[in-house]
Amino acid sequence: MISVYLPGTSWLHRMPARLKLLLLAALSMAILPVQDPLVLGGVFAAVLAFYATLGPQGLKQVRLLRPLASLLLIIFLLHGIGGSWMEGLVAVMRLVSMVLLANLVSVTTRMDDMLEAVMPLFYPLKIFGVSPKKPALAVTLVIRFVPVLLSVYSSLAEAYRARTGKRGSWRLVAPFALQALRLSENVAEALTARGGAAGLGSHIPRTRRGDAGC
Amino acid sequence: MAFWTPHRNKRDEEQRFDPALADFAVFEGVGLTLGGREVLKGISLVLSERRIGIVGLNGSGKSSLVRLLNGLHLPGLGSVRIFGAETKAVRAQLPRHVGFVFQNPDHQAIFPTVEEEIAFGLTQLGADKQAARDGASDFLKQHYCEALAKKPFAELSEGQKQLICILAVLVMQPELLVLDEPMASLDGLASRRIQQKLRTLDQKIVLISHDLAVFDGFDRVIWLEDGQVRMDGVPGDVLPAYVADLDRRAGAATDEVDL
Repeated sequence: MISVYLPGTSWLHRMPARLKLLLLAALSMAILPVQDPLVLGGVFAAVLAFYATLGPQGLKQVRLLRPLASLLLIIFLLHGIGGSWMEGLVAVMRLVSMVLLANLVSVTTRMDDMLEAVMPLFYPLKIFGVSPKKPALAVTLVIRFVPVLLSVYSSLAEAYRARTGKRGSWRLVAPFALQALRLSENVAEALTARGGAAGLGSHIPRTRRGDAGC
Repeated sequence: MAFWTPHRNKRDEEQRFDPALADFAVFEGVGLTLGGREVLKGISLVLSERRIGIVGLNGSGKSSLVRLLNGLHLPGLGSVRIFGAETKAVRAQLPRHVGFVFQNPDHQAIFPTVEEEIAFGLTQLGADKQAARDGASDFLKQHYCEALAKKPFAELSEGQKQLICILAVLVMQPELLVLDEPMASLDGLASRRIQQKLRTLDQKIVLISHDLAVFDGFDRVIWLEDGQVRMDGVPGDVLPAYVADLDRRAGAATDEVDL
């Protein structure tokens, strides 16, 4: 569930990123042991209400659950067959609420704020002489390149289908891995060309006027 | 009171960038071997023109040559001086002076949204988060791109993506802009818009392209072949000779796989 930042000025956008992440952790821990379907139903409704406060664009974000639908169905069926259907319902509601809550944070938090919020987690790395900026930047890169990797995979699958008439296959794993490696080389080169993960220091240039644009 | 000057300082003094220097890049007997292949052989060039184009077949050494300009490659033999400083000695500082734009915009952008991508260039130069954010917003306004500021990079058109990649490099105020086939993935309209944009820039430009029309208005074109300079001069001389050579070689090809 990696979705795109939704620009806005809602109360959730204004809340500090660190507080949001802490609340997310606390709420997730609180939801985990809940077994009562009524309470979980209430939690689910509350999460939907949070989305509603972001406006119609916010509610649309809930559609991002769609790719998870088959997984949720499997979980529901497994619980139903092995235990009771009520257990299945509880498990699905719990999972959906947690995923939606986590997604709510990514939808309302800018990447640079998120980076700043998670950076302290990496401070202990300083002991080993590694800049905490690096892993934080790596997190950003993962999030940024998920859509790119998806499109790499879909072009491979398309080329495969064009010649075999079949949908994707496990055979695509090897070329996908190679292309992903090549992509990572290009990205690393582009990052180096802009001063690398560590940055260039403290000089801030004057801004100059451009004449043409978008 | 300085009664003793360490040798190191003298060397730093020698390696200082001078952006006002007319000959912004000087290659002296440059050789480069990558993966066991000699990609550049004995290149000696002095670059001073505002707009310089590089042409040549794939594998002729174009990309390797321009990568020497901002330290992505260092010369194996000889030396490269950028604004008077030898790249081997000042490699880490080169991105401040030499911006580099690649062919595929999807492989360049690091942040998910446009404004963050531009702000990254400013944080690279040491700006704090708020200053970088404000600076990015102002910069996008200056370039009439404020409408794209909040957009996810992945949702932009190819032309918009490349434009943002160029701006993300320009925000660092380099004196020289190097572009390695920046128009290759663009349609005709986007390519023309990017060319218009490049014409307005104060920066010196070194541009690689297979589309020779983009060299309209350029001061100089360098034609590379097998890691060497085959011809070097004004576009009016070099480009017709290059095209004639392409036609001759295509006509003289002796078998199907000669391409």
